[in-house]
Amino acid sequence: MKSILKIALGIIAAIGGFLDIGDLVFTTQAGALFRYDLLWAVVLGVVGIAVYAEMSGRVAAVSGRPVFDVIRMRMGFGLGLVALVASTAINLLTVAAELGGIAIVLELLFDAPYSMFVIAAAIALVAIVALLPFGGIERVFGYGGLLLFVVVATVFHQNPNWGDIAQGFVPSLDSSTLYLYFVVGVFAAALMPYEVHFYSSGAIEEGWTEQNLKENRLNAIFGYGIGGVLAVGLVIASGYLFHPIGVEPNDLGTVALPMQGAFGETGLLLALGGMLFCVGGAAIDSSFAASYNLAQFLGWEWGRYQGPRKAPRFTASWLVFLLLGVAIAQSGINPVEITEYSVVLSVVALPLTYLPVLLIAGDRSFMDDYANGRVATLLGWLYFAVIIVLALAAIPLLLATNGGGG
Amino acid sequence: MIGTGRKRARSSAALLLAALALLGSGCGDLSNDELNRGVESLSALAAQGQLVANGVARDATKATYARVMAKTLSEQSDHEAEKLADATLEEPETADQRHAAVAVAGEISGLLSELQTFPGDERHGALVQKHLEEAQEKADAIVAQLSGDAP
Repeated sequence: MKSILKIALGIIAAIGGFLDIGDLVFTTQAGALFRYDLLWAVVLGVVGIAVYAEMSGRVAAVSGRPVFDVIRMRMGFGLGLVALVASTAINLLTVAAELGGIAIVLELLFDAPYSMFVIAAAIALVAIVALLPFGGIERVFGYGGLLLFVVVATVFHQNPNWGDIAQGFVPSLDSSTLYLYFVVGVFAAALMPYEVHFYSSGAIEEGWTEQNLKENRLNAIFGYGIGGVLAVGLVIASGYLFHPIGVEPNDLGTVALPMQGAFGETGLLLALGGMLFCVGGAAIDSSFAASYNLAQFLGWEWGRYQGPRKAPRFTASWLVFLLLGVAIAQSGINPVEITEYSVVLSVVALPLTYLPVLLIAGDRSFMDDYANGRVATLLGWLYFAVIIVLALAAIPLLLATNGGGG
Repeated sequence: MIGTGRKRARSSAALLLAALALLGSGCGDLSNDELNRGVESLSALAAQGQLVANGVARDATKATYARVMAKTLSEQSDHEAEKLADATLEEPETADQRHAAVAVAGEISGLLSELQTFPGDERHGALVQKHLEEAQEKADAIVAQLSGDAP
């Protein structure tokens, strides 16, 4: 029972991190445009984030060093600074997008001005972080995000052609640039760098040691696995309802339409509630990740467990990132568009995040008996090759498709 | 991602990608393909509007959700109409289709505005759904004309 409860760290990283506004929109759009054809890309991304999250959690548990510490140690100050600037910019955009996402969902529920809800969302996040311990934050957002299981129920209610769905898990490479853009987008949305930054730092917040390695593996597999099931469900539900009638989902509210179609108002409210917790969790993850990175790079005291008195600069930087996120979200830029650009641009920064993790996790002189085994090494390098290919393709595809506009 | 060029350009500017996005968004002349895509977007908006209206008609939604969604879709339809109306046609012989598309955009926007006003009225929901279906058929007919599949 205790170990089940401890999987909460993985679940919040998976639900609140994996299923953020970018995932919600990208997977829904992928289903609407290509029906079930991109299911394989979702699975590819889920396995990728699970592989690297497991490595980063293991490194954190064994060495006491989170990912950004490892990046600086392995890549030195110069490249580490490049990684810091890139990841901070992406994290900041993500914070803004998630705050905007919270405001959109609240607007759909209560029909009051969006700008008011952006501020309310930031105040609520500050209150939650101030009042709840790290584990409490996990539980609120992780378990609240499970409301999105209504997506899975919707899929069974729709009763689609399961043979067609099975075919979607077989990789296929359509020659259209829009299809390739969505492959990059779906994959990148799963491997957003802030997820491993938050996951590994969270491991240290929770005081993990070698004793927690089994828990780490369970978190990586089941936590991200649950996120993956929900993402697959979103693609199927969207592909079933939207693809035949040509709906092009451009906003967060559309994500909830299949659930309304299946279960009426109850389905709609469950979907919106789940989305609220997911984007709320992702706002916490990404804003914490931005502060973790900065503090770890500059050698500040850091961690929610330390409190504002022991880690004042970490706490202040978190508030600054949140305020900057509010400012961006209030600027009138559509949060969905912010997240789409941040997801695709993050692909370019992925090698700087994942290569150091891969090298350190495989380094026997550093990790001793806990270094990568054959399977982790093989998967790690395979995924790194995929990351490099997608990183090279991301910007040309972004331009060729006019940001996915076709 | 599949949204209007105007909104995209604004967002891209803020993301320091304005120049790159504008290159792709095709400001100025409107090619036949771009006109086609614009009308397809209208068809998609009408389809999405039908789903929202269906929820209202079945009393299977929340009024705030229906109102905000109708407002959002109506604004997107207006943007699409403005974009189509403002652009210069690369192929002047498609002027009739452009004119028809702008009219359909206005029709869709008006219907969605009605849904926005009566998000809890099942009878209005059913009527709007029916009329949006007709508007989508008109948009699809324009697409067929532009792609040479219809006279």
